[in-house]
Formats: sequence, C-alpha cells, structure tokens
Amino acid sequence: MKKNKTMIVVFLAPAVIMFCIIFLYPIIRTVLMSFFKIEGVTDAMSKWQFSGLANYIKLFNTELFRISMWNIFRIWLFGGIAVMGLALLFAAILTSGIRFKKAFRAIIYMPNVVSAVALATMWLQYVFSPKFGLFKSIGDMLHWEWLSKFQWLDPSHLFTALLVAYCFGMVGYHMLIFASGIERIGTDYFEAATLDGAGRLQQFRYITLPLLKGVTKTNITMWSISSAGFFLWSQLFSMVVSNTQTITPVVYMYQNIFGAGNSMTERNSGIGAAVGVLLSVCVVVIFIVCDRIFKDDDIEF
Amino acid sequence: MAKEKKVRERVNWHREFRLAPGYIILTLWVLFTFILLGWVVAASFSTSKEIFSGTVFQFKSGLHLENYAKAWNTSNVSVFFMNSLGYASISCVLLVLICAPAAYVLSRFTFLGNKLIQNGFVAAMGVPATMIVLPLFGLVAGWNILNVSLANRAVLVFLYVGINVPYTTIFLLTFFSNLSRSFEEAAAIDGCPPMKTFWKIMFPMAQPGIITVTIFNFINVWNEYFMSLIFANSDKVKSVAIGLYGMINSMRYTGDYAGMFAAVVIVFLPTFILYIFLSEKIIAGVTGGGVKG
Repeated sequence: MKKNKTMIVVFLAPAVIMFCIIFLYPIIRTVLMSFFKIEGVTDAMSKWQFSGLANYIKLFNTELFRISMWNIFRIWLFGGIAVMGLALLFAAILTSGIRFKKAFRAIIYMPNVVSAVALATMWLQYVFSPKFGLFKSIGDMLHWEWLSKFQWLDPSHLFTALLVAYCFGMVGYHMLIFASGIERIGTDYFEAATLDGAGRLQQFRYITLPLLKGVTKTNITMWSISSAGFFLWSQLFSMVVSNTQTITPVVYMYQNIFGAGNSMTERNSGIGAAVGVLLSVCVVVIFIVCDRIFKDDDIEF
Repeated sequence: MAKEKKVRERVNWHREFRLAPGYIILTLWVLFTFILLGWVVAASFSTSKEIFSGTVFQFKSGLHLENYAKAWNTSNVSVFFMNSLGYASISCVLLVLICAPAAYVLSRFTFLGNKLIQNGFVAAMGVPATMIVLPLFGLVAGWNILNVSLANRAVLVFLYVGINVPYTTIFLLTFFSNLSRSFEEAAAIDGCPPMKTFWKIMFPMAQPGIITVTIFNFINVWNEYFMSLIFANSDKVKSVAIGLYGMINSMRYTGDYAGMFAAVVIVFLPTFILYIFLSEKIIAGVTGGGVKG
C-alpha cells in the first residue's frame, strides 16, 4: 500500500500541477478580478481597488458590449437551431442504411480538423466574393438573381455571412454525436415498430427522438461552450469592414485588454475579467437548464 | 460495426429509391465541400488575374508553382510552419508523458480526491479561454521574458500542454478503465513493481488510445488561435494560424490572391492529410466508440 501511495502521488503530480496553474489558479483570480478596478493586467493584488459590482454594471451600460452579447446570443440561438437541425437530419440519413456512409460522414466532419483561419479565409475570399464567389456562380448558373446579387460582405449582411460560414463547419461535429446516439438504439425497436406498421418518419418521431435526449444534452452543452469562446470567426470577419456587426464578447474583451484599445475609455482589467465570468455563468446556466429539461427518464437502451 | 462488415448485398433498387432524398441532400453538401476545397487548391496554382476572371479551373497559363515558393519563402510561412510543427510535436509528447500516468492512477486506484480530480478535469474542458487568459498573461508578462524567443516558445508549449491536459487525461482514463486488471495482477505475482508494470505493460497496451488522443492533440495545437494570438510576441515564434491571419491582413494591400490561397493550402494541408489517412480513427475518437481500440 505504501508503494501505491508514492506511485499515486508521482503519477498524478504533473497533471494536477498543470491543472492548478492553467485552470484552478486563473479561474479563481479571474473571479476575484471581476470585482476590482485594476489598472494593468500585471498589477499586484495590493494595487487592486475593490469596486463591488461596478465592473458588471459598467459593462451593461456599454453599448458595444450589449451589442456583442446580443450578437453571441443570436449566434447561439439561430446558429444553434440551424446546426442542430442539419446535424440531426444528416445523422438520420447516415444511419438509415445508405451506401458510402463512411465517406459521407468523413467529408462532412472534415471542416472540424482543418485550420479555422484557413476555412474562414476560403469563405471570405472565395465563397462570398461578389466578383468570383461560389454563391455568385451558383446564382448565375441557376438564374437566381437574389443569390448572385446578394452582397454577403456588405456591413448589413456580414452577420448572416458569418453565421452561414461558421455553421457550415460546425454541422459535422454535432452530426457525429447525434449519429452515435442513434446507432446505440437497438435495431429490435425499429424492427418491432416496422412489424406494427410504423413508417420511417413515425419511427423517427416516436422512437429515435425520445431516445436521443442524452446526446441532445451533450450537443447543446458543446454548442454553448464553443459559442462562449466565439472569437476567431468574428475577428476574421470584422477584418473586411470594421463595424459592430460581428463583434462578440471575447472580441470585445480582447480589444479592451490586448488590442490597440480603440473602444477603450479607461484601463481596467477588471472589466475583461467580468466578461469572462459572465460568459462562464451563461454556460453554466445553459448546462443546468438542459439538465432539467432533458432529464434522463431512466430509459435503458 | 459487424453489420457493415457483411459482404456487400446486391443493390436493392426499391430500397435505394426510398433513400434517394437522403442521398441527394448529402451529395449536395459534399459537392459543395469539394468545390470549396477544389477551387481554393486550383486558385493557389493560378494567377490573381485568372482568379478575378473566374477561370481558375482552366489553367490557361499553366500551373504556377511559384505561388507556393513565394508564400513559403518570402511570406514567412516556412517559419510559422516549422514553429507549429515543433510546438505540436513537443506538446503531444509531453501530454502523453504527463497524462497517461495520471489517467492510469485515476482509473485504477481508489483514494481520497480521485472523483474530485476527475470532476475538476471534466469541468475544465468547458471553461472558456477568457476565464483563464488574464491571470496567465499577468503572470507571464510579470516575468518579462516574452521578448526572449526561446522563453516565448517555452511559454506557448506550456500553455498548449496545460490547456489539453484535462481532455487528454479524461480520454485516456476511459481507455485504461477498459483494460483488464489481470495483466497487473500477473505482473504483481511475478514481483514486478507497480510503476514498472505501468511503463512496461500497461502503457504499451494503451497504444491505440494514445495514438488517437495524440492525433487530436496535434490537430488542436496546430489550429489553436486565441492563446497563440495573445502570447506569441514576435513573427519569429508565431504559429501558422496567427501567421496566416497576419498574411491575409497584409494581402489586402498587396492584392496577391494566388499567393494567399497558396498559404491557405499550406496551412490546412498537414491536418487535412492526417485526416485523409486517419479519418476512421478520428471519428471513432470523437464519439468515444474507438475508445475500446
């Protein structure tokens, strides 16, 4: 037993120490920071001035931050509905017994493994291009004026463009989660239903969907986590026209703390910390709500 | 899985016909993906003029390999590429060395705090980067070492490793719990000390899991953006994602579209090639189905 004890300590120590340095300590400090007024990020704690909820109040009184929260909410909600819908549809098709299933699955998931900067560039510089873009070509080919004339990169349409491009890449991941959930449902359920004369759609509605509660919860949680960290796409898309259309909270924080500081009125790292805390609270709330809604009703399968 | 390995049955046209809408939807999506990638690759071999006239697929003026040479040499892509390759490789090795022992201990022994550590790691996987970046930056900036490029690189690798520790540990933990205990018992009877048993017997047995998680870590580090943007202080230490962003930014003024697409291809190629060969393993890893090896 003595031997095991040294082994446990020696084997665990590096991972746990890393965890404490990269996660535990920064999280605690960020929460604390959000209640203080702090001039510079590197300031020692003794220089912090306690300000209670002032940082949070200030954030909500800043229009740019409110816009960024509204943007991320729209990405989460509309993007979420689109991505979950498509992912579930694709997962249902993949598991319906089609051929080339593995090839389809691999290609749809592919955008998740390539660099998002490269992917976003392809969309920005190619697909949305008003001169030689893919959407313009498709519009021309099918004589869909609205598509070939649509100015994706106009300030007023940039958000839609961002949403379309981002969702395209995300569908594959959530599709895999849904598909694995569907595959875990035993085939005998479907066989029994077929014998009883239930059609494919009925089977999907009354067998598949209810049994997918668990994976739906996973999917919504993962989607919320990636939404909370939404940064790269927003930064790349705001490169085209710098306006508030595509700003998200993380970008807001980045600009305030690390950026040139164009929207900055005063130096206060506490505000940046408050942004982080708010986003984390959103994720936790969504997680708890999902847990309530999609309670596992002890369905064993 | 077993179902798919069956000898291919004859085409049942009635059945295939009923599945037609599904085929059409997936094919359209896949076609779109192909055109997207194909066009970018074609554009990277053509000229900016051809790109603007919309004739990249015709290769009228031949293949312009010099786009790649230019992007690789003059636009610093070679530096970013080598940086990322180094960061990703070193991080992957360190992650396995740090996380495999921890995962093994967590899966095998009951002790006070085991569950707590596991829950902590699981929770850490959902923590937004904004929640940890400020104190980390404060810490590192306080040491005043970011202008020394070697120290800057070390900081980046340390961050890449740290961020991926929870995920790697939890992934390997499930893997180790699925390995039978009888191996250790046999080794113990033969008088092999537990630590040696791990490195000599269990670690090699966990290889399929270690390979899968290493692929994921490589892809994650290669594509990491937020931390690299904040912590990479000079062009010398930037990773590909940040380097590419800078290049695209400057491309707006030079107008060298062909060169830009060449850079895009260079950046996405490594993980893309990895994916072509290992897509089954990667997909199984995402859904946890491959955990059993």
